[in-house]
Amino acid sequence: MTIFSLYIYDRHCNCVYYQDWHRTKRPKVAVEGGLLPGVSAAVYPRAEEPASDNVNNPNSARNTLASASGVLIAVNEDMPRTPLPTQSQFTQPHTNSTGLSFDEEAKLVYGVVLSLRNLIKKLSGRDEQFVHYRTSTYKLHLYETLSGYKFVMLSDPNVDSLRFVLRQIYSGPFLEYVVRNPLITMDSREQGIDNEYFRTSTDRMVKSLTVFE
Amino acid sequence: MAIWGLWVINKAGGLVYQRNFGGDGLPRLTANEYLTLAGTLHGIHAITSRLSPTGPSSGAQVISGETFKLTILLTATGTKFVLITSLVEPTADSVLQKVYEAYADTVMKNPFHIPEMPIQSEGFDTRIAALLGS
Repeated sequence: MTIFSLYIYDRHCNCVYYQDWHRTKRPKVAVEGGLLPGVSAAVYPRAEEPASDNVNNPNSARNTLASASGVLIAVNEDMPRTPLPTQSQFTQPHTNSTGLSFDEEAKLVYGVVLSLRNLIKKLSGRDEQFVHYRTSTYKLHLYETLSGYKFVMLSDPNVDSLRFVLRQIYSGPFLEYVVRNPLITMDSREQGIDNEYFRTSTDRMVKSLTVFE
Repeated sequence: MAIWGLWVINKAGGLVYQRNFGGDGLPRLTANEYLTLAGTLHGIHAITSRLSPTGPSSGAQVISGETFKLTILLTATGTKFVLITSLVEPTADSVLQKVYEAYADTVMKNPFHIPEMPIQSEGFDTRIAALLGS
């Protein structure tokens, strides 16, 4: 019993957020331009490390925000710093990779979800939602908000429906740290919604679940 | 506890058999719509096996909506049997196995049946009717 990953899509089919936990098979890093910035620090190609550390460089513009000023800014950088341990497995040689790059994988997940949604609607003849599907190794759950955001979670095949968890993520961290966050532009088509607060509180929420182990 | 439909999809994604059961379950669609849905399902099934976060996976086995589910049996030859039932239908898997058995007996052993083509076999129809009602 475990949770593997969480994808959030906006109504323009863009993946705006990604987080994973117990994945053993990982996608390769995203191809340049295939994915919006600000989705998840872990899935972008690593930028070349600058020779000198910015924080120690007195000429750096960043230096004005050094710890002495006591100011904490939750600005979304292209590659947000995250208080969580970075998912360093991404940088390892891809012996246990799925063979797909992350942006391709994100598009496939969206495609499957969208097709299944249409299939269920067509078959039921009314506005019925697709809830989940199960294969031999995982189960995919969907929760769609009225504003068109789609929360997709992959878990162990034996867990019950996790729709309520996705709803909780929406009504808790998502509303609090994304919708009510003036620094996040929603529906921008140019930027994901990743930020420290949302990531930590989602992480905490998922790790507190009984099915997470 | 109800069974509403049975599809047989050949290995190329074509719908070769489709039948509805029980009048009040799901709306009847046109033959063309069923063909399209079966093709979509075939494609989705292939993709779902590639999205596994933990190593090799089968394709989707159960797809659930809010009031009904599709249970999918993929045979070794690539033919898919899809059963549309209510959410609480514990017998779906065993029913599909029996349908597969009936298919082997009355369709595959029929010398006049052309593989991968629509199933027009009275024997299969009667076996299915006996198994699932009409």
